[in-house]
Amino acid sequence: MTAATVTADERVAHVGVLRRVLLKPEFGALIGAVVIFVFFAAQSDVFRSMAGAANWLDVSSTLGLMAVPVALLMIGGHFDLSAGVQTGTAGLATGIMTTYWGLQLYASWAVSLALMLVIGFINGFLVTRTGLPSFIITLGMFLGLQGLNLGLTKQVTNTVQVENLDLVPGYHSLFNILGSTFTLGHAKFQIAIIWWIGFTVVASWLLLKTRFGNWIFATGGEPNASKNVGVPTDRTTISLFMMTSAMAWFVGNTQIVRSGTIQAQVGIGQELYFIVAAVIGGCLLTGGYGSAIGASLGALIFGMTQVGIINVNWNSDWFKLFVGVMLLLAVLANQYVRRFAENVRR
Amino acid sequence: MTDIEVNEVTEPGTDVPLLEIRDITKTFGSVISLFEISTTVRAGQVTCVLGDNGAGKSTFIKVLSGVHQPDHGQLLVDGKTARFNTPRDALDAGIATVFQDLAMVPLMAIWRNFFLGSEPTKGWGPFKRFDAATAKKITRKEMADMGIDIRDPDQPVGTLSGGERQSVAIARAVHFGARLLILDEPTSALGVKQAGVVLKYIVQARDRGLGVIFITHNPHHAYPVGDRFLLLKRGRSLGDFAKSEISLPELTRLMAGGAELEQLAHELERESGETSDLGRELLQDTETLG
Amino acid sequence: MRRSTWLIAAAVVPMLVLSACSSRNAVNKPHNKAGGGKGGYGYKIAVVTHGGQGDSFWSIVRNGVMQAGKDMGVSVTYQSDGDPQQQSRLIDAAVNAKPDGLVVSMANPEALRTSIQNAVKKGIPVITINSGEAQSKAYGALTHIGSDETIAGRAVGTQLKTDGVKNVLCVIQEAGNVGLEQRCKGVKDTLGGTVTNIQVDNNNLQAAQSIIAAKLQSSKAIDGVVTLGAQVAAKAETAISTAGSSAKLVTFDLNATVAKDITAGKILFAVDQQPYLQGYLSVVMLTQYKSNLNVLGGGQPVLTGPNLITKDNAAAVLPLAAGGTR
Repeated sequence: MTAATVTADERVAHVGVLRRVLLKPEFGALIGAVVIFVFFAAQSDVFRSMAGAANWLDVSSTLGLMAVPVALLMIGGHFDLSAGVQTGTAGLATGIMTTYWGLQLYASWAVSLALMLVIGFINGFLVTRTGLPSFIITLGMFLGLQGLNLGLTKQVTNTVQVENLDLVPGYHSLFNILGSTFTLGHAKFQIAIIWWIGFTVVASWLLLKTRFGNWIFATGGEPNASKNVGVPTDRTTISLFMMTSAMAWFVGNTQIVRSGTIQAQVGIGQELYFIVAAVIGGCLLTGGYGSAIGASLGALIFGMTQVGIINVNWNSDWFKLFVGVMLLLAVLANQYVRRFAENVRR
Repeated sequence: MTDIEVNEVTEPGTDVPLLEIRDITKTFGSVISLFEISTTVRAGQVTCVLGDNGAGKSTFIKVLSGVHQPDHGQLLVDGKTARFNTPRDALDAGIATVFQDLAMVPLMAIWRNFFLGSEPTKGWGPFKRFDAATAKKITRKEMADMGIDIRDPDQPVGTLSGGERQSVAIARAVHFGARLLILDEPTSALGVKQAGVVLKYIVQARDRGLGVIFITHNPHHAYPVGDRFLLLKRGRSLGDFAKSEISLPELTRLMAGGAELEQLAHELERESGETSDLGRELLQDTETLG
Repeated sequence: MRRSTWLIAAAVVPMLVLSACSSRNAVNKPHNKAGGGKGGYGYKIAVVTHGGQGDSFWSIVRNGVMQAGKDMGVSVTYQSDGDPQQQSRLIDAAVNAKPDGLVVSMANPEALRTSIQNAVKKGIPVITINSGEAQSKAYGALTHIGSDETIAGRAVGTQLKTDGVKNVLCVIQEAGNVGLEQRCKGVKDTLGGTVTNIQVDNNNLQAAQSIIAAKLQSSKAIDGVVTLGAQVAAKAETAISTAGSSAKLVTFDLNATVAKDITAGKILFAVDQQPYLQGYLSVVMLTQYKSNLNVLGGGQPVLTGPNLITKDNAAAVLPLAAGGTR
């Protein structure tokens, strides 16, 4: 049997680069980010100043840190509606363990991580064992944690917040890791921005360059088929849920360390914005396709919009309307660009 | 239980069959999906499993590929009893199954699909990465060996035609050292030309020394490439024939249930008192088939 | 990991964790649950408010209600829902359980009118707290305990005017809350300058801080910030320093951080309507009415504020705020 000689297809060279770029899921989000930036920068000098940038980058980083694992999870085919409230659980846990129960700050920080990993494991375990939609399972977790956050806080503190973390020994070193700022051009930027960029790079590498990343795409795209060829879909799913919870730990603790206090209802309502950022970034709701960089760009768009609206002195009530319209436009644009790129290929 | 096999005479190929299926029975609750099914597959040969819908073909494949375990009967690989508790066990024994969904993820690139579950890696520890360069190179080569030039291995599998997708699945199985290929209705959803192309790949795989189990409900596809034919009907075996023992018309008649059609025709005749048009038509059909 | 490794870890890790305990870390005192006196009146009082679940203001009201229950020896139930329709249903359900007294807060009085009048008709004494003072008497309530939001707002406006503030940013942390809108309007009435309202979300204080900072950066003319909730106040304080603004900050409502900031001079003053008292007194007064037919107020509402917490008294209030009673 002869092997057919493979002739280099001259078509591939020409279309290659452009098509590759267009086909990337984050392309739409990149265009969107540029458009939004130009839009607000043109109208507000505060927006384009260093101090202004520090401000909208701050909002973007808080959203973006969570949007990245939520995007990976969505690519893997699942939703986590408890992602927002988990940030509260993590911060409250550290706060209560330290300031009320006397545990050393770093020990609390570590126990808080263990707690969040357990919560993530429970989410993933229930989803893979019961086969119920992750939407439902994590909705249950969301409601449960919402009640737990409030009830336990009230029980221990008699109020709805945990305060005074800034008074405990060891606070300053932890603050340097999570809550400090660095100066660039007379403006102070939060260190969380660096963490956000770092985590985005790691997540993107994980998704595109590793075996595990291949499994994420496969588990989200066709879970049964993947299982049949030996992909450990259950392990992948549980890992993704645990990664989301680990990030909730990071973000929740960043919150309480930055200001020394955290209130019991933090994060509720945010879970939808994580999903919005991921979808703007090119993630399909049905799974199997998306990008971590895209989700971060989506979060960037969000942050620029939320602060930009204020900078140009619009009524802040219009923010949610803006988000809704932007989400629809982003999804349509993504679809259009992908179809165009795929037709080019044919 | 002996390790020594009785040789089947007149069969080309090696003495010991690659896979022997002996009296496999599978029940789900009170439903008997398979009842005492037996056949063999040899290296370099194609065994066709024929049957209409509801015959038990999909259960049969699932038993062979390790998704289900048989309730009675044995599977013998190279003459030794084997038990597949998971699909991984079957894969490790060299049995690769190409399901109807092809085990492909449409949104993923061809090279990602090709190595799904068996990704080559480079580096170690936390920096272990999916060796994409090697994967793309091997994908192009293997596909070329099957006679297909993939212009761009980054193409999502969903953009390939049905026949091309089948070829990717087959090439994948062959590359990963499958000794026995089980194809679940590969031609059923394809047009005439595409079906012909797939049959060509089956022949190529066979010529490379693999054993092939080819599941189909179309005897016209099966007969040209098959060396052995197993007919299933409602979970039972209608017979396990070598090619020399059965002709295409006879195969078709058995499949269409020729004997039953005749009986139905006579019944109608009795009911309507005289030879009805329908009865006459049925008789004619059985004659042309028989 | 092997099983033995897991077992060792399971034994050693908790010990390591516990060894990291120290009273030096426990800067907050756990809530002392010891009850008050044993009044032993044995009544059943139902409290139905419009407060949000995680709202720090209403958690203080609830604490007052619960403590009064213990002190008076009456059993209290506390329910709340921000949606007026839901709240009226909660009132109906509470009334069906035939309580000895009912306490209601009326952010949207019209929506609750039927349920309250129904309770009055059934002979259940009703006291209104916090909001709805104007309709309290008309609906048949015994009296109203609270603080008028508009009057409080006006007091803030007057004080700011005296301090030379001309351009105020009023931060509303809960969309559609009538009481909060009234506060901002009150400020506008007496300030004699500009008042701009801005919406933030109390559940996303991080973003709230950025929004306030963004506004301050864009409108350099703002020289005063008024926050309407204690939790937002702390964020506004950070926002002001991030934006490099010299705006003066005042807030409504109180918590430990606010008290601390007032002592440190970061917040000028806080307007406290003593929510604990609103909750506590309502239960006490119903108990007194049932047992002794006492009515307080003389036909007028019983005012718990506006009460200004300034640098002079903040330090003393701080530990009480930390305990959830101020």
